[in-house]
Amino acid sequence: MSFETLLFVAAGGIVLGGLYALMATGLAVVWTTLGIFNFAHGAFIAAGAYIAWQISSTEAFGLGYFAGAAVSVAAMFVIGVITYALLVRPFERQPNLVLLSVITTLAGATILESLLDILWGARSKQIARVVEGDVSLAGVTISANEAVLLALVVVILIGLGLFLRRAPAGRAMRAVAQNREAAQLMGLDVPKLYAIAFGLSAALAGLAGLFIGSIRFMTPTMGTDPLLKALIVVIFGGVARFTSPIFAAFIVGLIEAFATFYVGLYWAPAVLFAIMIAVLIVKPEGLFGKYEKTV
Amino acid sequence: MSEPLLRVEGLAGGYDPVQIFQDISLAMPANASIGLFGPNGHGKSTFLRTLSGLIDPWRGDIYFAGERLNLAGERGSRRFRNFNYDAVRRRRMNPKQVARAGLIHVPQGNLLFPEMTVEETLSVAPAAAAGRGNAKAQLDQVHRLFPRVHERRFHKIRFLSGGERQMVAIGVGLMAAPKLLILDEPTLGLSPKLRHELCAAIQKIRDAGVPLLLVDQDVEFLQSLIDTLYLFDHGRISRKIEKAEMPSHEEIMAMLFGAPAGGIDNGVGR
Repeated sequence: MSFETLLFVAAGGIVLGGLYALMATGLAVVWTTLGIFNFAHGAFIAAGAYIAWQISSTEAFGLGYFAGAAVSVAAMFVIGVITYALLVRPFERQPNLVLLSVITTLAGATILESLLDILWGARSKQIARVVEGDVSLAGVTISANEAVLLALVVVILIGLGLFLRRAPAGRAMRAVAQNREAAQLMGLDVPKLYAIAFGLSAALAGLAGLFIGSIRFMTPTMGTDPLLKALIVVIFGGVARFTSPIFAAFIVGLIEAFATFYVGLYWAPAVLFAIMIAVLIVKPEGLFGKYEKTV
Repeated sequence: MSEPLLRVEGLAGGYDPVQIFQDISLAMPANASIGLFGPNGHGKSTFLRTLSGLIDPWRGDIYFAGERLNLAGERGSRRFRNFNYDAVRRRRMNPKQVARAGLIHVPQGNLLFPEMTVEETLSVAPAAAAGRGNAKAQLDQVHRLFPRVHERRFHKIRFLSGGERQMVAIGVGLMAAPKLLILDEPTLGLSPKLRHELCAAIQKIRDAGVPLLLVDQDVEFLQSLIDTLYLFDHGRISRKIEKAEMPSHEEIMAMLFGAPAGGIDNGVGR
């Protein structure tokens, strides 16, 4: 096989990795801050895509791509906060919060997906691309749409990283994640910061949905597969640092692209899971993981 | 007499269903400092955690700077025993409100935020000051008091020694512009040299006019800083001692453990 094919497959893997990075970071924000796993993240992805479609598509309101993106992000932030208030907040002080929240967020995911089905129907939709055409770089051609998305993902992740390191609210979120009681004694508003973390995570899911919606077709259950991949990424990479799920996302994206190319589409998830299990046997806390969880 | 800074009336609490302390009443006049002294495991820390709202008081009231910090009434633990307490009943205290009122609690063995740098930690702390203080001046004060904290400002808390961590913890308390600073065993587990340094720093904080509520096992250290000493025993305050009549370390040990020295009878040692 030629070097060009290799580059082509790698480019596909990197685009995929960018999307996984966006989703996994969203999951990791909630995982590290609240210590729970949000199974509604996949439904958030679908909801974000449908809201963006409703605003941007010429078949609906037709206000353009960026209006769709803005409304989708804002709406998803609100949906995230509501989800937190209804599904997590009431159980926050229960000793078995982790188990309870698995069930409640799964329930939330099912309800949200049914809601999308009722509102928009099961017929596949697609969000228009940001730009048409292809771009070529060093002999590799990918669609301009995917290049723009990848650039946006990088900008968003850098912005998120700066928010967590520099902004007072971001620092407060990290503080709550690392020691809830000390943060309470410092007068931080813990429920508010948890709500912000959930909203932020849902907004990232909304963006991921928007991007996926312009690459693949949208259905109410479109989030299930990306959620699974994001879960693999988070477990595979660990959450010791903000950047570890991001690196892991690109690794998973590349593995998936090459596995699809060499062993076929249907075997790609199996290969991915096999590699993940192999890594976990050697290093249970994930590739870049330390045992403690932090942002 | 003017309104006391802190007034606790008939406070009882614990970790449901185990009651840890009961019927605690104490008053702290403005500009005075008090000390709590008692054996380990008799509920001092639980009492302090209740004061700062981390756990809900079962009965009783806490007034701070003229305001009541808890909701009126009693905790209905019996009626709601089988329900999700937080969903069914409103919690009686909110730690955020307590901290923003200026009641700042530096807990025992404070672990702070392992993955954040000293500087980042201190930058989060003024949240509790709620516009009362001046963050810049407070940071200068902390750095003057603990030069070591300034030296280590770009290091993660995880990499600090126990003494340095305690200095940062007290620094975090000072960043909140406290009206009352609660220090729970600040010198626990430190070497004699570090302990001495930390005691000097706490003396300076006191001299700067910050009222203290101090818990420590060393009566001599407490004596130099406080006006009233409360003996804490089996979840109750067994004795209140004014500064003038402060007994020596041996006498207090005798009171608590019933040793024969002096033959003091105080009705403790059940």
